[in-house]
Amino acid sequence: MIQFAQVSKRYPNGQDALRKVDLEIAAGEMAFLTGHSGAGKSTVLKLICLMERATSGQVIINGKNLNKVKPRKIPSVRRDIGMIFQDHRLLFDRSVFDNVALPLMIAGYEHREIGRRVRAALDKVGLLSKEKNTPIMLSGGEQQRVGIARAVVNKPPLLLADEPTGNLDPELSAEIMKLFEQFNQVGVSLLIASHDLSLLAQMHYRTLVMKEGRLVQDQTDETLGVEHPPEQFESFSAYDEEENHES
Amino acid sequence: MSPDRASGASLNQGASLTARLKMLIRLHKLEAGRGIRDILSNPFSNSMTALVIAIALALPAGLQIMLDNGKHLSQSWDGASRISLFLTVGLSQSQTNQLANQIRENLAVETVEAIHPSQALADFAASSGFSEAIAELDSNPLPPTLVVQPAEGYTDPAASEKLLAQFQKLEHVKKAKLDLDWVKRLFALLNLAEKLAAALGLALGVAVLLIVGNTIRLSVQNRREEIEVIKLIGATDAFIRRPFLYTGFWYGLFAGILCWMILEVSLLWLENPVAALASSYQSQFKVSGLNLVQSLQLISVSCILGLLGSWLSVGRHIKQIEPK
Repeated sequence: MIQFAQVSKRYPNGQDALRKVDLEIAAGEMAFLTGHSGAGKSTVLKLICLMERATSGQVIINGKNLNKVKPRKIPSVRRDIGMIFQDHRLLFDRSVFDNVALPLMIAGYEHREIGRRVRAALDKVGLLSKEKNTPIMLSGGEQQRVGIARAVVNKPPLLLADEPTGNLDPELSAEIMKLFEQFNQVGVSLLIASHDLSLLAQMHYRTLVMKEGRLVQDQTDETLGVEHPPEQFESFSAYDEEENHES
Repeated sequence: MSPDRASGASLNQGASLTARLKMLIRLHKLEAGRGIRDILSNPFSNSMTALVIAIALALPAGLQIMLDNGKHLSQSWDGASRISLFLTVGLSQSQTNQLANQIRENLAVETVEAIHPSQALADFAASSGFSEAIAELDSNPLPPTLVVQPAEGYTDPAASEKLLAQFQKLEHVKKAKLDLDWVKRLFALLNLAEKLAAALGLALGVAVLLIVGNTIRLSVQNRREEIEVIKLIGATDAFIRRPFLYTGFWYGLFAGILCWMILEVSLLWLENPVAALASSYQSQFKVSGLNLVQSLQLISVSCILGLLGSWLSVGRHIKQIEPK
């Protein structure tokens, strides 16, 4: 589903965000991407959804080599990727229903089909009763769930989430993760960038650890929390001063 | 996630063509509505914008109406290439009539009307309102006049001028004058004014494009975040452009209707003074405004300018917005 081959990314300001990263995430796999801010997590996600282009190396998504995607074709690549953001990125001038319907309208679905799919997606995230509300009337957790409904409504084969639980308390975070697991169970591939280590420790999924633009650990273990206690990750904070525009 | 795509790992093929078409029509309806709501959400400043566009359009359109009326007016004099022969003052009535008969024999002449000084003075006194002053005059200062209407085929400027030269040589004719002169001058003036109107129309048309373009640019900037989000969701530029094009179109439509109203009110306002002026020239001339076709043309031009202005602006500014 996701394939990085010797991918490097250097930003125009000369900063090397990724250095020869190799990684592969199979179809139907769910994986976490972690590391301190500035380690390259966001850059990985940006390369996948074509917000940035690799300086060298190959990024292949859904069998498509992104290096060869022309600007005009970017929208069609993005339609096969559901994106979930830390700040939700909802449109506040329209209802929850209209927010979730947006990807379907863009893809040109028929009116009744849109209604059906939007309600199914809202039902899935438990917000069917709030379809007429505007996002501003919802809590942070509810807004995030609207964001998730919007990401899955088009049934993309791949979901990307950038710090999806960044602003949520542990209980709500766990709920969101449960949702992700459910999507994964029906075959959706997920890549979730997060530095919520206590959450990762509970989840027992493959975890990719990044540091200074390199992939330093790739574990499918269930003992992340034991072998690599949170303290170790906290030592990353020394690099936080190098924080850059990608976070 | 519904079961019909349980695998979840297939690519989105999107909807069928007919479904897409249906959705496209629905989207157009939705976005047309959103465009109107956008404009109505800030009625004051947006109606100011529409008013500015309307005024910019009303200037060349109003000038064009005046030109059309001027042409119409000059056309009614077009065939009236009459020649006035002013005879020597004090020429007797019989001599005047004799000369008139002599001219009448000319094949190029259709009719000759003799206006005797006393009759001319009476007419002048009646129409000018100077009757009291005229009554004070010791003698009639007006010469006898012959008004010659050239026969058909001799009314064009060249033939008229030949006749004019011919009459000029006749005995007792003090001055021969072709009434066509001022018609020619009027035509030249109208031509000049037409060129000016075209130049003004072009300049103000460009101004309208800039006004709409700038308004749309601000609107794009206001919705920057929204544009970033829908770009991330996979919207094409065409999808993003559409609501802005509708906004531009609505501006054009509102401005066109406003402009039409401005012109109609102005014409109504001018109607009485023009009628009064025309009646002083014994003319039944009435200002004609825009007919239905012209009104629709005006509004269409306005709509097209609105659409074009927003199209020129939105493409450029959407490209600059990339999600971060």
